[in-house]
Amino acid sequence: MSLRIDVDRESCIGSGVCLVYAPNTFVHDDDAKAVVVDGAPDDLESIQNAVQGCPTRALRLIVEDEF
Amino acid sequence: MSEQPVLDRDRMRELFDLRNSIVMFTGGNYTDDPYPIWHELRDQAPVHAGTPHELNGIEDDLFFHGLPFPEWPHFTAFSWTACDEAYRNDIVFASSATAVDPEYEGGLRGYESSLLTMGGAEHRRYRSLVQPSFVPAKAQWWITNWMQATVDALIDTILEEGRGELNVDFCAAIPVITITGSFGIPVHQALDVRETVSDPQKMIEFLVPIVEARRDEPADDLISVLVEAEYTDEDGKIHRLSDREIYSFATLLLAAGSGTTWKQMGITLAALLQRPDVLAAVRDDRSLLKPAIEESLRWMPTDPAFARWVAEDIDFHGTHIPRGSILHINLGAANRDPSRWDRPDEYDIYRPLKPSLAFGSGPHVCLGMHVARAEMTTGIGALLDRLPNLRLDPDAEPPSPLGFYERGVMEIPVVFDA
Ligand code: HEM
Repeated sequence: MSLRIDVDRESCIGSGVCLVYAPNTFVHDDDAKAVVVDGAPDDLESIQNAVQGCPTRALRLIVEDEF
Repeated sequence: MSEQPVLDRDRMRELFDLRNSIVMFTGGNYTDDPYPIWHELRDQAPVHAGTPHELNGIEDDLFFHGLPFPEWPHFTAFSWTACDEAYRNDIVFASSATAVDPEYEGGLRGYESSLLTMGGAEHRRYRSLVQPSFVPAKAQWWITNWMQATVDALIDTILEEGRGELNVDFCAAIPVITITGSFGIPVHQALDVRETVSDPQKMIEFLVPIVEARRDEPADDLISVLVEAEYTDEDGKIHRLSDREIYSFATLLLAAGSGTTWKQMGITLAALLQRPDVLAAVRDDRSLLKPAIEESLRWMPTDPAFARWVAEDIDFHGTHIPRGSILHINLGAANRDPSRWDRPDEYDIYRPLKPSLAFGSGPHVCLGMHVARAEMTTGIGALLDRLPNLRLDPDAEPPSPLGFYERGVMEIPVVFDA
């Protein structure tokens, strides 16, 4: 199983909610847009909280089964 | 230690009296626990006709976001799902009356054209100008420049006394001084500025010379950021904020960021002091301060209800809401929805961390949430560092919450080993 997190830069307003719930997985760039850290080091529950908590639904979590 | 002049305590007490005339309009004399009624109402239906205070049996005419608007029908959402959905659907649930009726005049006087009431692309554009100064990575900038010295100076004044009152003499002071400081207003004027909170025009008089000075020569403060902020419109033309736009934003920040953070810090401190074992745990393991603050925001958000203006007819969670209504989002009730949290009425800092609606959601989610968190962390952290054996004064009345649309505690009398 592997995780992919998509950030929709159009919808992202830079609220920083994702950085509260998954502080090791998300950072902001200079335009205050969320960027995903390589390897998304937080546990799945924290990442799910960040994704669901995003006020503008700019994050999408895709769990891919590996063959 | 710090050189910062200390604030006049008597004046502080007058300005920050939760029972003063301004706060009375938002239900300042309400001392009941509103949550049992919210549980009952949410059990009956996720959405009810009526304003939040009417539904709680308050007959006075109260004023707050979306109130009174007597000629509009009112509805209130109580469940997590309904509140969360309303917040995220800003097409149907708009942040200003003019989204529904462009001719509408009245309502939030002074804030008609601020971030709080804008919509769509205009809101996005303005918000993107200021958001970079309010991100988590900027918290340290706020702490170093405008919080730490104030926090230290306030503790210095009570340190030798072995006792103190933390709600007005500590919690209330920090947010005002932080925000006015970020505007470049010196501490000794902070209270004069706070007095103007209900009179935006007077507040502007303080800002005029500062905005002018920063246009000439920018400094390391928020007004300079606003003066220098640029956006490019659809035609590729570069715009800067006008003086008027800067005044309006500054006025909003003071209104939105001082009373809220003060009261939330008081609620958090009172919750901890009333649970000495939890307080001791946080003192010993400072990583517990974050969950203690997040849990206070969930359990007792200082502002439990914000409003939206309904721009289209909608069948919403079993209730038909006609266009031209006002929907109140009772986020206080949503934050204790048993379908989302076990034992929702318990203040439990060990529960799994999950997003609440204390800072709202959708495009108008609180801009100052990381500043507010930094203020509470810095303030409470410093009290725990510097006041050994901090505890409630056993001879005084214990703090108890009051208020309806703006909730907080009156006094937090404490003693400690001097
Ligand atoms: C614990 C303290 C605070 C709480 C509980 C709080 C809560 C909220 C809530 C619920 C909203 C959404 C209002 C709505 O739904 O219409 C909001 C918006 C806002 N807050 Fe806060 N707030 C706090 C502190 C602050 C601070 C410290 C600042 C500024 C330094 C601030 C600035 C704002 C602004 C500018 C908005 C409007 C954002 C927009 O419309 O895009 N708040 N706040």
